[in-house]
Amino acid sequence: MQEQKSSFPFSMVERMMPWYPGIAVMGWAFVLIAFLLALFVLSPSQASFFSDAKAVREGAGVGSAFVNANFGSHVLEAWLPQLKFFGLGLGLLAIVMALGTIAKRLRSMGMVIFSQLPEKMRPAVPPPPKRIRLFQLSALMGIMVLMIVLIVGIILAVSVVSGYWNNSIVNDLNPAQPGSTLLSQLSVISSYAFWLNPLRMIGMAFLFTAITVALTVIIGTLRMQTKLLGGLVQKAG
Amino acid sequence: MNENTPYQLKLFPVLTILGWILISLALIIGLVILTPTAANYFGANSKEVRDAAEAGSVLLSQLGVLASIPLWLEPLIFLGVAFFICGIALEFSIIPSLVKQRGDVMSQAFPLIVKLGK
Repeated sequence: MQEQKSSFPFSMVERMMPWYPGIAVMGWAFVLIAFLLALFVLSPSQASFFSDAKAVREGAGVGSAFVNANFGSHVLEAWLPQLKFFGLGLGLLAIVMALGTIAKRLRSMGMVIFSQLPEKMRPAVPPPPKRIRLFQLSALMGIMVLMIVLIVGIILAVSVVSGYWNNSIVNDLNPAQPGSTLLSQLSVISSYAFWLNPLRMIGMAFLFTAITVALTVIIGTLRMQTKLLGGLVQKAG
Repeated sequence: MNENTPYQLKLFPVLTILGWILISLALIIGLVILTPTAANYFGANSKEVRDAAEAGSVLLSQLGVLASIPLWLEPLIFLGVAFFICGIALEFSIIPSLVKQRGDVMSQAFPLIVKLGK
């Protein structure tokens, strides 16, 4: 009994399924990088900025250690959480891939067992469920959303966030008037997290859905095999 | 789904849908309420004007929205995530019994398969 090959791009997705240990390690590495950057860059920047009185740190001019520390921590805060969630997303993707591999092995194991029977006794093996495509697409969608969120975070960090925070708070930022570039940058900086954070959770939701659907495929395969084997026993009895 | 369907299989789709509803709701609130309010509050008013806002003013009510809604919106998102995780746990919980059932049937079918396969 030969399993029918899937069409492109699903054939590629199925070939990549057994790579899940590598994907899991990659996800873990991204989260580790996020932790190390927070520990060795973000935290010292914040400590350095808050090391003097409010009047001194906010009055510091462009190019000073205070402005640089404030600038560095804000730029990092714009993309670091997105990297962390991308790492978590890769971990969830690895789980989906592992479940997909289990479902595929269960199915081929069932086919091996039934292939031992004479052809006329062999039960008709149902085609692979359509839900396989659903969990593959859901997982791809989830990881793509998280990747887009990371790219948006990086773009915001290098454009608006770095443009705004590389200024003296007292001399440039506080006196900014409506219509100025600084205030329009502040408008973006203060609002993007309200849609970007839920959007990355939408990415996670796609990945959770992929896990849910992959589990239904495994459950369905186990139930189907129990039913087919039970039918065989009944027929023989 | 018939009467013999385990309760876990009946419940997990509801939990998954609830997870989607809560997370989508958070995105909609973020997009429709919080983003325009923050953009208007910070983008259309200088710091001097924002700091001088009086009780009952539009600026202070915008600030109230920006300070209060995110406090419950984030836990709402995580409640959505918890629904997903509960659904996944329920699905996992029926796998051991299914594997046992399949093993029992397999032990009955195995001698038969060996006999018929000869």
